[in-house]
Amino acid sequence: MSIVNVAPPSKFDVARKTFIRNGFGSPLTTLISVIVIAGLAYIGWVLLDWGIFRAVWSEEDVSQCGGHAGACWSVIDARHRLILFGTYPFDEHWRSTLAAIAIVLTVVVSCQPVIWRAKRLAILWIAGFATYYLLMEGSLLGLPQVTTDGWGGLSLTLFLFAAVVLLGMPMGLGLALMRRSEMPVVRWFATILIDTVRSLPLVTTLFTAAVVVPLFLPSWLEGDKIWRVIIAFAMFFAAYQAEVFRGGFQAVSKGQFEAGRALGLSYWSILGRIVLPQVFRHALPSTVNMIVVTFKETAIVTIIGFFDILASGKAAYGTAVWAPYYIEVLVFVAAIYWVFIFLLGQYGEYLKGRMALAAH
Amino acid sequence: MKKYITAGALAVMGAIAPQIASAQSATVQQIVERGTMLCSGHNGSYFGFVEVNDQNEWKGLDIDLCRALTTAILGDPDANQIVPLSWAQRFPALQSGDVDVIIKATGWTMGRDTELGLQFSLPYFFGGTQFMAHGDLGITDATGLEGGTVCVEAGTTIERLAANYMTTIGVEHTMVSYESQAELRSAYLANRCDAFAGWGPNLAVLRATELDNPDAHIILSDQLSSEPISAAMRQGDDGFVDTVNWMLASLLIAEEEGITSANVEEMAATPPNPRVARLLGAEPGMGERLGLRDTWAKEMIAAVGNFAEIYDRNLGKDSPYGLERGLNSLWNEGGVLYAPILD
Amino acid sequence: MPTADELRIRAKRRSRAIQSLILILTIIAIWGAVSNAQYNLTRMNMTSGFSFLERDTGWDYSFSLVERSISDRYYYTLFIGLLNTLFVGFICIVTTTFFGFIIGTLRDARHPALSFAANVYVQIFRNIPLILQAVFLYAILIHLGGPRQAINLGDVAFLSGRGLMLPGLNISPAVSIGLLLASIAIAIGLIIAKTSLWRGLAIWFVSSIGICLLATAVLHPSGEPFFSVPSLQGLRFRGGISVPIELLALVVSITLYGSAYIAEIVRGGLSQVPAGLVEAGQALGLSRISIWSRIKVPMALRSIVPPLGNQWIFMMKATTIGIAIGFSDLFYITVNSISQSGQTLELILILMLTFLAVNYSIAIFTNWLNARLQLKEH
Repeated sequence: MSIVNVAPPSKFDVARKTFIRNGFGSPLTTLISVIVIAGLAYIGWVLLDWGIFRAVWSEEDVSQCGGHAGACWSVIDARHRLILFGTYPFDEHWRSTLAAIAIVLTVVVSCQPVIWRAKRLAILWIAGFATYYLLMEGSLLGLPQVTTDGWGGLSLTLFLFAAVVLLGMPMGLGLALMRRSEMPVVRWFATILIDTVRSLPLVTTLFTAAVVVPLFLPSWLEGDKIWRVIIAFAMFFAAYQAEVFRGGFQAVSKGQFEAGRALGLSYWSILGRIVLPQVFRHALPSTVNMIVVTFKETAIVTIIGFFDILASGKAAYGTAVWAPYYIEVLVFVAAIYWVFIFLLGQYGEYLKGRMALAAH
Repeated sequence: MKKYITAGALAVMGAIAPQIASAQSATVQQIVERGTMLCSGHNGSYFGFVEVNDQNEWKGLDIDLCRALTTAILGDPDANQIVPLSWAQRFPALQSGDVDVIIKATGWTMGRDTELGLQFSLPYFFGGTQFMAHGDLGITDATGLEGGTVCVEAGTTIERLAANYMTTIGVEHTMVSYESQAELRSAYLANRCDAFAGWGPNLAVLRATELDNPDAHIILSDQLSSEPISAAMRQGDDGFVDTVNWMLASLLIAEEEGITSANVEEMAATPPNPRVARLLGAEPGMGERLGLRDTWAKEMIAAVGNFAEIYDRNLGKDSPYGLERGLNSLWNEGGVLYAPILD
Repeated sequence: MPTADELRIRAKRRSRAIQSLILILTIIAIWGAVSNAQYNLTRMNMTSGFSFLERDTGWDYSFSLVERSISDRYYYTLFIGLLNTLFVGFICIVTTTFFGFIIGTLRDARHPALSFAANVYVQIFRNIPLILQAVFLYAILIHLGGPRQAINLGDVAFLSGRGLMLPGLNISPAVSIGLLLASIAIAIGLIIAKTSLWRGLAIWFVSSIGICLLATAVLHPSGEPFFSVPSLQGLRFRGGISVPIELLALVVSITLYGSAYIAEIVRGGLSQVPAGLVEAGQALGLSRISIWSRIKVPMALRSIVPPLGNQWIFMMKATTIGIAIGFSDLFYITVNSISQSGQTLELILILMLTFLAVNYSIAIFTNWLNARLQLKEH
């Protein structure tokens, strides 16, 4: 008598069988699998061989780099401080490091569902941003003052990112509300602003803010170049985020507004207590996506003369000794961007999946 | 309701309207109130003039002149901020007040003087536009660039000079321009361009140190121009122009009189002649006429040295570049630099 | 206790007050900006107005489709910049859409190795900023060396640090612009005629090549060959089509980045096609390729076109990163004109209005295309 296994096959088992059926089911699919896998493995091997096995790692060994077939990471060993901190004073780099960690922590903590209340998020971001600013600027903490002109590298990229999201989010909500308004002037105002900002390339908006806007302002309103650029960047974020919120509003049925009104609630309490929480929930995955895009787009500020991580990377290979190792520096910078953007993007995918589950 | 709106509107209009001020030197006043001087930097390094060293500090001839000016006005060589700017951004940045003065290898041209509304100081440097080419091309002048590519920095006078020159001598070529010197340099080193049009002293500096092997590059014999280099300021502030001019003049007079950062205190205590006495503030008159302290030139020389010291430190014999002074010597040593009369 | 009427009147009054407040504030802001600009311009003795457009530029740049010289007027130089932007934008729209469909289809494929490879591609190229990819690619390409070290691609094409030299039809640049416009006109004509997707693509492809060959046969300089093949002479290649390395780097990097995005849009569209339709196709005995081309793609297009239109506008805007690698697109030409002529306000105004016009046109076109696709259901 044989024992019949009546338990359902394990998930892994099913996945393995589907994999084999789809990938090796016929001679043609098997051939494709073999070619693709061999191709990927070859590319992977070449990269590993170049980047790790044959690489030169420390600054002292730079003489071994010439004629070597591997990567010369000596340039990173020697110049990583320039890449990460830009022209920030050398002795104060610890402040720049702590400040960057503050921003990264803020982002990580905001990914926890416990924090997802408008008030908590606002407090968290303002606190994270303030920590960054106090540390970098220094004068309020009794440290040597470093003005924004001296900020650079990865810290500057993170600063721009945090400031843009922090300012742009309420602006985006405001624009979305204005666009839904029953008052025509308000609606047109928001619509024109949103459509115009979305039609212009980001770099022209930022260039205008940096170079042209001062001509339009009285001297007391001009402020620092970096703040003008951040406000323009936040406008860009807000214009796109307003459309994200608009999608969220469309998912909330009109009946809820009417129900709230029938209960005698005011516009603002219907909005704040009933509608907005749902809007935020619906808009969450697209908002994460927008935040990822914003992080990526900060790289554009290098064109208008900010010393961000791309510009400081270029400066790092801008001397005779390091000029041949431009690939290593650019790979390093690209890897930093990639890790941040990939992780944020994966988190967005995870949220989307979770909400799709919740919707069933 | 309407009344409030009208009143509010008027108040906002009043605040937003342009503020008209007409002090003797508004710029100097602003700098003193702010406590810092805003000078132009570069987006990267422009070797010898504006560069970033390993400690991420700005140095160079133009940076030292900024420090000199800061000392003259504020008494502290470090009370300045260097604002990184590309070539294309420098004039808009000056016009918008992002910087107080541009000291950045800037040539004095008629267009800038008139249409851009700028004001130039005394020239403090002379240099011409030239081409540098890869040695293995085996050429000695620009006619050998037929069919080649010339690279140049965007938005500079050199860009126009080079385009005009190549058209005049009738050499067919492609021109590629870049936003910063770092990009231009790496493009030239990567052999994207056969030649690199630049400002003579800068090319010499690059050739001497920044390129892997100086002999692999040749500076072509063509002289496209000789440019007077001056500090640029916004028009309409004569007092500030005077300050900058006398800052430059004092550095030249100090060199002429042999006053250095090492002996300035001693010279001020026992001045060898009335000119030195006035310059260093042992006799009154130097400060009041500019609205500064009497000892400003002494403090300045103590902080950055005279013009020869600045030159030698950044470009000349004490620098990695070792450039001859040539045209940029004093008038009595065969150069063309001279100071106005200090009376 | 106010009555309902009173409440309504009050609400109306409040809404009027808010609206007039916004209008007044906008007017004040515009008035303030204009008066400050006037004041600042006179204070700094800057000339204003558009008369500079008639002046010679006196500088040169890396790429143009038509004849250029340093004595061109500013308006003509700006027009060349616009042509360059439209040209790069158009090429990138075509290439990204093409590769995006292929990669998106692979992403959606059941074959695990293929979808994995496509996924790797998307994850790498979508998660690195475009400008960094452009700078990276440009740095690698210019290190390929001068024309003498060019990589020989079968004796007809050459890749060097200066550019890509391709064999081409022996016609003048002006004629090729005409041909490009004719090709676009054919595409629009086919959409108006409601030709079915695949037949329309085939007709468009064949007729575009046809008119090119025809034009060459009629217009090529007599006594010269039909095709022009590049060959090394002195410091550079002569003959053929020369693609400057700046243009190549810009087009390739936008294509790599943009196709990763479009691939995701295509995958999303394909995966939304109801499984029942695919099964129906299988039941009819259609091959996999027919199921893809006759059922999945036409069905998916309806949800793909609106986000695709946004990506096309993005491509147009992305050409502005050309400035980081020395390519003379409209933004580059504008920025250089600003620093050479000092007419900041006028030039920025021209730049913004141009981009608004171009991107609104694309938006109108995709809306129209979308309407076409939706109507076909009836």
